[in-house]
Amino acid sequence: MPDRRCTERSEKQESMSRFIFPKWLDAIRPLLLLILAGGPAYLIAMGYYGMWPSTRTKGYMPKQPVPYSHAIHVGKLGMDCRYCHTTVEKSSHASIPPTATCMNCHQAIRPDSPKLLPVRESYASGEAVEWLKVHNLPDFVYFNHSAHVTRGIGCVSCHGRVDKMEEVWQEAPISMGWCLDCHRAPEKHLRPVEFVTTMDWAPGEDQITLGKRLREENNINPSTDCSTCHR
Amino acid sequence: MSVAENRVATDKPSFFGYLVEFDNVDSLIHAAEKVRDAGYTNWDAHTPFPVHGMDRAMGIRYTKLPLVILGGGLTGLGGALLMQWWMNAVNYPYIISGKPFWSIPANIPVMFELTVLFSALTTVFGMLAFNKLPQWRHGVFSSARFARATDDRFFISVEATDPKFDAKKTADFLAGLGGSEVEALED
Amino acid sequence: MSENRDVQLELGRTPLVIGGRDFHAVTEMVSSVVERRKWPIGWYIAFTISAGGLGLLGAMIGWLFYKGVGVWGVNNPVGWGYAIINFVFWVGIGHAGTLISAILYLFRQRWRTSINRFAEAMTIFAVICALVFPGIHVGRPWLAWWLFPLPYPQNMWPNFRSPLLWDVFAVGTYFTVSLLFWYVGLIPDIATIRDRATTKIRRVLYGFFALGWRGSHRHWHRYEVAYMILAALATPLVLSVHSVVSFDFATSQLPGWHTTIFPPYFVAGAIFSGFAMVLTLMIPCRTIFGMQDLVTMRHLENMCRILLATGMMVGYAYSIEFFIAWYGGNPYERFAFINRAFGPYAWGYWTMVSCNVLSPQIFWFRWARRNIGVMFVISIFVNIGMWFERFVIVVSSLSRDFLPAAWAYYRPTWVDIATFVGSFGLFMTLFLLFIRFLPMMAMAEIKGVMPEAHPHHGPDPAERRGTDLGGPTLQPAGALGRGREQ
Repeated sequence: MPDRRCTERSEKQESMSRFIFPKWLDAIRPLLLLILAGGPAYLIAMGYYGMWPSTRTKGYMPKQPVPYSHAIHVGKLGMDCRYCHTTVEKSSHASIPPTATCMNCHQAIRPDSPKLLPVRESYASGEAVEWLKVHNLPDFVYFNHSAHVTRGIGCVSCHGRVDKMEEVWQEAPISMGWCLDCHRAPEKHLRPVEFVTTMDWAPGEDQITLGKRLREENNINPSTDCSTCHR
Repeated sequence: MSVAENRVATDKPSFFGYLVEFDNVDSLIHAAEKVRDAGYTNWDAHTPFPVHGMDRAMGIRYTKLPLVILGGGLTGLGGALLMQWWMNAVNYPYIISGKPFWSIPANIPVMFELTVLFSALTTVFGMLAFNKLPQWRHGVFSSARFARATDDRFFISVEATDPKFDAKKTADFLAGLGGSEVEALED
Repeated sequence: MSENRDVQLELGRTPLVIGGRDFHAVTEMVSSVVERRKWPIGWYIAFTISAGGLGLLGAMIGWLFYKGVGVWGVNNPVGWGYAIINFVFWVGIGHAGTLISAILYLFRQRWRTSINRFAEAMTIFAVICALVFPGIHVGRPWLAWWLFPLPYPQNMWPNFRSPLLWDVFAVGTYFTVSLLFWYVGLIPDIATIRDRATTKIRRVLYGFFALGWRGSHRHWHRYEVAYMILAALATPLVLSVHSVVSFDFATSQLPGWHTTIFPPYFVAGAIFSGFAMVLTLMIPCRTIFGMQDLVTMRHLENMCRILLATGMMVGYAYSIEFFIAWYGGNPYERFAFINRAFGPYAWGYWTMVSCNVLSPQIFWFRWARRNIGVMFVISIFVNIGMWFERFVIVVSSLSRDFLPAAWAYYRPTWVDIATFVGSFGLFMTLFLLFIRFLPMMAMAEIKGVMPEAHPHHGPDPAERRGTDLGGPTLQPAGALGRGREQ
């Protein structure tokens, strides 16, 4: 029953190449499959990598108004963290030192250094030096320095080896998952309270054994409720 | 037959096999039975819809696909169970509405859904894999009239790679099946 | 719907394809729609309107994201408003597609073949519309991916004990499986369009999506097994989806929601609304594209019967809710239902009852089941009534909850209404694209139920009768069936 219209169609088709697809298309089928399956997987993986806090926020190192070097002051001169960050054991905030703290020494040491010009200006005018906050938590997160420091979480556990940083950068991702890691297993980071500011302290024994003992002795049971941090 | 013999004479590597056309289901089934009985293995019937009784006429064994799907379904079921247990009872145990961390009834809906999801994905991709699809390029497409295999005509193709294939004898055999004249396919 | 019906059909009832069509005529009739060079001006008008609706939806979502959920009418105590109503409405619409494609397939109802593609497409587009709402209602839409159990930087996982999460899995699975089922059904038909294509670009595009289908019977064999298994998977799935949606309400403690009847009641309502939507779309399409020989009056009559049956099921559910409210002796429950029928939202309740329970009663009459105009009007009524059902359930229960001091009257804002209207734009845009570019009826399956498809050969008559009676063989429906052969 050759329908007239159908015949016409066949003739039209005859004029075109009968094969629609080239032979190599079938040869590259595995590659095509790989692209179809692997392409989205690659994009998702890249999205994840880009969005992950360790990619986004780790390594944040803003340019400070004064080229203050923690490496010199802490690493070389051996100053204690608490000389400047005075409230770290008593308050939720560790406090940025006032210009007066700098001038305690710098009235005598290198009083003419051009690098210290903003500090001297600040001292003269009474306007604070506009330091930039490196470790900036979101407003919906409540964090208390004293609660951590007085229970034996060392500065280095979160801030890294500040004594080796010319300029301070953000060492930890400070994501919620990162906080929870420690809240779920604080023994990984606990140390005797007297060593909290010691940058190069190392446990004399296995950290986990020591941590567990310190946990037991000091009854350290960090909460993981939402309201612990989101108040 | 002339076209076919021309091809036979050259017998180039591009020669794919033979195609013969039928215009109704009955003659297709009779022909398929004869091809099957002649001992060919690398041959196929092409129809616009699945024809009742062709499995027997072609001697097709029932596919193993359901077994694979069962595997897919069980993976979904077990995966869902493990996932919910690990996520809600082990890695992130959390009290909500006083419900237990781990109880089977609360996990049944997700277990069911993932069983269905994994089975369905296995079904479709398993079917395509068993059929070696997608295969955009195939020798049967070299025939102009093969376009009607998806419309209203029925075809039998025998590939040259069949161990019983013989350019002359097979062509004669196919010509005797009651279909159209035998067409040579190339690829 | 007895399975014997098919046998009766074979024995001389109205055939499923009329007008003396042969295989080629079926191909021609369905494919020619897709192959039209010039589309009727009506299509362009409809498409412009739909695309405008889609634009409205986009604008409303943009406005919502820009301003926040405050632009919606939700507030205490009605914290769930149009978003969940529209979500349940659209998911429900989708159910008829799966019912037609999967459940009727397993029950060997061959009349489904010429409407199943259409209904499946409707399912997919309806589920897309439904998925929009949970996606945009979360307040911080850029965090919507937290719905899924993916590793987050927060080291947390979703709560698998919540029905809202079950919903994510149920609707997500439903969408995926519907899409796979639809595509698998389309493969042979896309191949048909490919083989008829006269331009290079059509051949390449349809050729690509046909995956090189060549009608090989070795392929058909696995294809049919796969299709049947997909149908068998989709059947419990579709019943589970609206059950899980109903859990969102039923597992709460709010009077009017906290009832065990919800899962079957929701499933019946979903099928009811879905069939109404199939009719609403099918009737104009059939007339415009001259498909009267494929979608026969018998198809439409069957759908009207299903509307009547499922309409009475939801009517039964409405009345049993009242009975249990009285019989259960819970004063809060009793109040919730008196409030539902006679409270501030009584207008919604009685709209629902008249559209859903009363209006389909006309289908008791044969003339009404065979009258296109009546069917179309009733199907619209049912769509309206089923939207109001969700409105009544969500709003009337929430607006007067346990705390009388907090009672309030919920009013949607213009953004709510425009978003809902816009979702129809999305639905119709997708639908119009579908009928323009894809074969709207399953050609291969229609050919399979035509008398010429049956070989008059071997032990077939007996085998075929066995199939039609639904014997215990591992066979798909009707003519597509074959035995377990060696």
